[in-house]
Amino acid sequence: MSAVYVHIPFCRTICPYCDFVRVRDRGAPVDAFVDALRREIAWASPEDAPLRSVFFGGGTPSLLDEAQLGEILDALDRRFGLSTAVEVTLEANPDDVTAEKAWTWRRLGVNRVSLGVQSFDDAALRYLGRRHGADGARRACEAIRDAFANWSMDLIYGARPVGAWTATLEECVRFDPPHVSAYGLTYEAGTSFERRRGEAIEDDDSLALYREPRAALGAWKHYEISNFARPGRESVHNLVYWRNEAYHGFGTGAYSFLHGVRARNTTDLHAYLAHPGAKCESLGLTLREVRLETVIQHMRLADGLTHAAYRRRFGRALRDDFGPALDALAARGLLSDDGVCVRPTAAGFELNNEIGLALIG
Amino acid sequence: MPIPQDRIRNFCIIAHVDHGKSTLADRILQVTGAVDERNMKEQTLDTMDIERERGITIKSVAVRLEYTARDGETYALNLIDTPGHVDFSYEVSRSLAACEGALLLVDAAQGVEAQTLANAYKAIEQDLEIIPVINKIDLPGADVDAVRRQITEVIGLDGDAAIPASAKEGTGTLDILEAIVAQVPPPKGDREAPLRALIFDAKYDSYRGVIVYVRVMEGRAARGQRVLFMSTDDRYEISELGVFVPEARPMETLEAGEAGYIICSIKTLRSVKIGDTVTDALKPAPGRLPGYKEVQPVVFCGLYPAVDTDFQELRDALERLQLNDASFVFQADSSDALGLGFRLGFLGLLHMEIIQERLEREFDLTLVTTAPNVAYEVHLTTGEKLTIENASKMPPAAHIERVEEPYIEAEIICPTEYLSGVIELCKKKRGIHSRVDYIDGKRCMAVYEMPLAEMVLDFYDRLKTLTRGYGSLEYRLIGYRPGNLVKLDILLNGEPVDALSCIVHRDRAEWVGRTLASRLRKLIPRQQFEIAIQAAIGQRVLVRETVKAVRKNVTAKCYGGDITRKRKLLEKQREGKRRMKQVGNVEVPQEAFMALLSVQDEPER
Repeated sequence: MSAVYVHIPFCRTICPYCDFVRVRDRGAPVDAFVDALRREIAWASPEDAPLRSVFFGGGTPSLLDEAQLGEILDALDRRFGLSTAVEVTLEANPDDVTAEKAWTWRRLGVNRVSLGVQSFDDAALRYLGRRHGADGARRACEAIRDAFANWSMDLIYGARPVGAWTATLEECVRFDPPHVSAYGLTYEAGTSFERRRGEAIEDDDSLALYREPRAALGAWKHYEISNFARPGRESVHNLVYWRNEAYHGFGTGAYSFLHGVRARNTTDLHAYLAHPGAKCESLGLTLREVRLETVIQHMRLADGLTHAAYRRRFGRALRDDFGPALDALAARGLLSDDGVCVRPTAAGFELNNEIGLALIG
Repeated sequence: MPIPQDRIRNFCIIAHVDHGKSTLADRILQVTGAVDERNMKEQTLDTMDIERERGITIKSVAVRLEYTARDGETYALNLIDTPGHVDFSYEVSRSLAACEGALLLVDAAQGVEAQTLANAYKAIEQDLEIIPVINKIDLPGADVDAVRRQITEVIGLDGDAAIPASAKEGTGTLDILEAIVAQVPPPKGDREAPLRALIFDAKYDSYRGVIVYVRVMEGRAARGQRVLFMSTDDRYEISELGVFVPEARPMETLEAGEAGYIICSIKTLRSVKIGDTVTDALKPAPGRLPGYKEVQPVVFCGLYPAVDTDFQELRDALERLQLNDASFVFQADSSDALGLGFRLGFLGLLHMEIIQERLEREFDLTLVTTAPNVAYEVHLTTGEKLTIENASKMPPAAHIERVEEPYIEAEIICPTEYLSGVIELCKKKRGIHSRVDYIDGKRCMAVYEMPLAEMVLDFYDRLKTLTRGYGSLEYRLIGYRPGNLVKLDILLNGEPVDALSCIVHRDRAEWVGRTLASRLRKLIPRQQFEIAIQAAIGQRVLVRETVKAVRKNVTAKCYGGDITRKRKLLEKQREGKRRMKQVGNVEVPQEAFMALLSVQDEPER
């Protein structure tokens, strides 16, 4: 499997916690950017593996107009061939969502929306510096739910008031989205939240919040550390990352992983417009590193990694490469190995970095 | 032709650290033409980097200078450099014994300090002619008259006779040289008597082996002579002898009254004892020169490689270091907590710091060091006496009749406004007040007797902090005294950690235990299980602290750009964990083994 990520860096307002590449959209050269994207896509060499997913992330891809989005999808179709089997996800800001827009996206070929609800609590949304309020979030959910069978509600816990999380999850369950992402708020370097790190909640409190969706979303499968899905509604795109498979990245700051090379497009918008696809980082991984990253990534997934899949992919036995670490981790109760499949336990989710540390050896 | 004794002057320069000893030595070398201006390297006599950085001289060198005095005669002046720190006080005393006179250098701005006094007393004890020199008179803060008064009143020398000088600018250097010629008595000693030469220093040279610095007291040493080192009872043949000017100048003989070097194919510094007497092997002198003693280490610490596999490397490094510093001792030691390593003994705290730093700097080793401790004398109920250099080796309390610990007499000089703070600090360190002397209106000297164990932890640092750098300290060992001492154990999840055991005074045991446990709680990172930290005396647990289990350690978000970054981050963390020591199932960071030091910073209830 392979995937395509398209980064749309423009935002109406900048969220104080976001560390993705983004710029204000006012007066921004969006058309020129779309042109540059089309050129970058046209020059790409598709992988041998069949394309299974396209993901528009940002930034705010939902502020693209119909023509802009259409042109990018056309370019992707010409280069990669977009069948209905390809999951095409658009990240949307509740502010941008109307019933009409939702149907337009649908008509253009988008078949999944990842909706940045974050919370159904006005105070929490203000804390996060979001433009929308709880009612706006509700209206957006309804519009998306009407137009899309496949959509994800993206939520953030840890914002103040901390207690709003429970009610947000209850409301989430009422909207019954096929997919839910639930991420803890982080205070990343380089964001305006960085200097507010002192407000970050304690580990033990964070653990309690982390456990809440596990209980509230019992009817969903907790298939990844921070993600829940109804059967068959797992994010095809993110599974490519979590299984450490190949992906193209288009747009400013977009990462790609092709032929064992991790690369990143320039993060500078004007440099990108002049030379679409110019890289600012490029790192060839050794096979050992790829094997290690692959196992670490799979341990984020409830389904883990089968011995057979590892052997198929690398032509070696998982136990030959990681046997002692796997045994030690099993002894610590962080994963299980039934001889067919190695998968993390519930503790293995909560202490996932410990698995990575042990696998490094 | 040998130089007649009345044309020889043997002298040294003594001073408090940073009062300008090396600069004056350089100036003297320059004025006498031993070093020309063009080749002048700052501070020629200090050869090691660390010495220069710390402004101290660890090992001495003797240099012969030719000086034509105002009386028209040419004199051989032997400048014998002395170690500048209290830890090397025995070596200092041997260097002084090689001289007839001493320049006592006092900083014109700082005045008499603790080491000025201690060194002056040592010179007086050796019956040296002392010429006071007031240095740095060019400094804006110089107060020559005040320093003259201090020299008179505090040291008891004639302050009015002190020579004002600025070694930096060269002022007063000739006056100093003239004073040496006029005031320092020429050496005595029968040149026809059997050879007796005092070893006052030795250095290791990788090409020539050990270079032994001697002052010939009686008789003469000659090239090719068979000699006997009287304390070690070793026999050698002198393959070369001579003087440094400052480069080596080989000669045929060194006669009574002269100071110079001998080389006789000695492979390691350990074979040479400072203070020993060299005599003729065939016609030995009837007895040794007075004043010889074996120097015993007084401060100990454990040194372990951060990575177990570096044990052999550490051993090699220690062996190589010992080639040019025989004053520290080491032996292999093993700790349950820290694995294989060494127990080292030093002459003092500064000595310990220098050795540790040289090991890390010159041999590129990452080391785990345990908090320093002293040697205890343990008298058992059976009447047996043990010397314990490692708290974990302390026998059970039931077998102990009494424990004695080394005491020092400390002289602390500080501005009077800090005196109350100094007294409080000394009291807290179990100090026994002897007296307070006032140096002048502004400064005073507090004399305390206190356990060396209290001194080795952090006394000097705290003294410096509390006197804003103005306090100076000098101490000497005054013997062993019984103390109400107990062994404090630290247990992690019920298992005692040998490297964290310490011997403390019973009255402070609970406080130390409580503070140490709380420090450790902050130092030991949370792990997957709860960690109980206990401080105990014997079976009695004084305090329990808990490091809570880590229950969440997860990177919640991991998209395409994060995968390799996260792996690298984990690899870095993993590297950090590798440097931790595995104690039972608990990972303990290296700093924890030095926690006893930081405990002292905590305010005591």
